[in-house]
Amino acid sequence: MVLSTVIISRGGEESLRLARERLGADVVVVPRGSVTGVEGALLLGNATNTYMPRGVVDSVAAVPGVAVASPQLYLTSMANSSCCAVSLMFMFAYDPVTDFTIEPWLKDKLGRDLGNSQAVGGSDVFVPEGEERIKLYGYDFDLVGNLEATGTNLDQTLFMTFATAYDMQEVSRTKAKMALPILADTVSSVLVKVEPGADRKEVAKAITKAVPEAQGVPAAEMFGSYGSQISGVLRTMVVIVVLTVVLSLALMALVFWMSVHERRRQIGVLRALGATQRFVLLSYMAEAALLAVAGGLVGAILAAVAMYLFHDLLVSALGFTILLPSPASLLGLVVGGLLIALVVAAVAAFVPALRASRQEPAVSMRE
Amino acid sequence: MTAVSLRGVGKGYGGDGAMAFVALRDVDLDIEINDFLVITGRSGCGKTTLLNVATGLATPTSGTVTIDGVDIWSITDAERSSLRNRTMGFVFQFPSLLPGLSLEQNVILPLEFSREEHADARERARELLDMVGLGHRMAALPRELSAGQQQRVVIARALINRPTLLLADEPSSDLDEETEAEIMEILRRIHVEQAVTIMMVTHARHLVAFGTRHLEMADGTVREDTEHEGPYGPA
Repeated sequence: MVLSTVIISRGGEESLRLARERLGADVVVVPRGSVTGVEGALLLGNATNTYMPRGVVDSVAAVPGVAVASPQLYLTSMANSSCCAVSLMFMFAYDPVTDFTIEPWLKDKLGRDLGNSQAVGGSDVFVPEGEERIKLYGYDFDLVGNLEATGTNLDQTLFMTFATAYDMQEVSRTKAKMALPILADTVSSVLVKVEPGADRKEVAKAITKAVPEAQGVPAAEMFGSYGSQISGVLRTMVVIVVLTVVLSLALMALVFWMSVHERRRQIGVLRALGATQRFVLLSYMAEAALLAVAGGLVGAILAAVAMYLFHDLLVSALGFTILLPSPASLLGLVVGGLLIALVVAAVAAFVPALRASRQEPAVSMRE
Repeated sequence: MTAVSLRGVGKGYGGDGAMAFVALRDVDLDIEINDFLVITGRSGCGKTTLLNVATGLATPTSGTVTIDGVDIWSITDAERSSLRNRTMGFVFQFPSLLPGLSLEQNVILPLEFSREEHADARERARELLDMVGLGHRMAALPRELSAGQQQRVVIARALINRPTLLLADEPSSDLDEETEAEIMEILRRIHVEQAVTIMMVTHARHLVAFGTRHLEMADGTVREDTEHEGPYGPA
C-alpha cells in the first residue's frame, strides 16, 4: 500500500515535472479558454481541436518581455500505428527557425538540425520491425532520435518541422487514402522564452491582455489542475496508508500477543533449559523481522507488478499520468518499503516479546 | 552435603488483599546431594511451587534459596539461567519437546544455551537416547512418538548437560502403569548410576517408595519429612 502510494504520487509529480521540462518554455500560449484541453491533449492524449491564427505568433513576439515566440501545430492523432508502442500516436509540427526546445536537444545529441523527411519521436515511438523508415500518410520519415520518457502523451508524439508537415500533406493527397488535414495558417500553441530578468507571470498576463485570441500560461503553472488532482489523490491515499499502517500495527500486535500466549509453555520450557530473558526477547524480535521482510517483500513485489500491469487502467481511473520508476528507483522504494515493514513489525512485536521474556518461567508453564 | 537449601521461603499470589493465595509458608528445607526426594501432597498444597522456587523458575516472596552455595535470587537473570543450564535437568508433566525439532535436536537443545563448546553433543545425545531406548529414532519428530516415549526423550534432554540436580514434576501422571514403571526405572538408574540428586513431585503415593526421602506437603508447609532405607521400588 505504501509502495503503491509512493509510486503513484511520485510518478504523477515526476511525470508533470518532465512534461513541463519537455515543453521547455517559460510561457505557453494556447487558444483562449483551451488551457485544460491542451493540458489533457499533452498529458493524456485527449482529443483537442483548438487552433489560433498564425498571426498570433507575431502578436505574441511583439509583447514586451518576450524574447522568442515559437509556434507548434498539432497535426493529427493516429490509432494503432505500427511505429508506436501504445495505441495512439500524435504528430506535432514546429518551426526550426524559432524553436528553442527541440532544436537544442537535436544539436546536442545529433550535432545538426532536423532536415526534411526527418522526425524526432517520444520514447514510445520507433521504426517498425523490418523497416528502415516510418511511413505515415504515404510519406517516409527517418526517425533520428527519441526523447526521454515522461510518462505522458509526449512519449507517443512525433515532432517534425512545419516544412516536413506541409510536404507530408502534399504527398498524402496522392499516396494516402486520406490527405493529412492541416488547417492553413493556424497554430495550436506558441512556446515563449522570456527576456532575461522578465517576470514570466507578468509576461503571460501581458500576452493574454495583448492577444485576444490567445491565453498565456506560465509553464510552471501548466498542468496545474493535474497537480491539484495528484495532491488530492495523494491526500486521500496518505489517509488510507496511515489507517492501513495503524491497522497493520494493531493486527500484528494482536497476532504477536496470540503467538506469545500460545507458546507460553514453550517459552517457559526454554527458560527452564537455560534460555535468558534476552534470548527470548531477541528470538521474538528476530521472528518479527523475518515475517516483516517476507511479508514486505511479497507485498512490494505484488504492488510493483500491479503498478506495471495496471498502469493504463490507473492512469485512466485517476485522471493523471504516472511515470513508472526506473529499476534502480524501484529497488530503492522496495528497500524503503521493507524498512517501514520492519519498523511496524518491531513496534508491534516489542511489547509482547518483552512481556514474554520477563514472565516467570513457572507462570509461563502454568495452564 | 547440601545441594539445595531453602530458608524461610514463602510464595504468595494475588497481592496482599483478601484474594491473596499463599502457596508456600516459611519453608525450611535442605536437599542433600544424592537425595531422591519424592514430594507428595494434595492438589494446591504447594509442591510444584516448591520445585519452581527451589530451581529459580518462580520468585519467592520471602526467604532465600541457595544452590551450590549461591543465593539464586541475589544473582542476575542471565546468571540464574546459566546456573540452571549447567546444573539442572527438568522433566515436566506436560509434553515439553519442541515439535519442529528432531529427537536429537531436542536432546541437544539445552547445550545451545550454554557458553561452552560441546564437540561431543551428538554423540552424547545418541548415548542418552540409547539409554532411554530410543537411539534408533534420532531423526524422528516428537509427534511420531507416544506420550511415554516423548517423556523418555525429555529425560534424555534433562541429562545432556550432565546435571547434578534433576527436577521432575509429575513425570508419569499422564502415563499408563507400565509406562510409568519404565520411566521410574530410568529415574532410578540415573540416581544410582550417575549419582544425580532428584526432586520429584507426584500426587501418586505409590511412587514414594522409589525415593530415598519423602516430603509430605499440606497447605504450603512441609508436614512430614522422612528418609527411606533399603532398596528402591515399591515395598
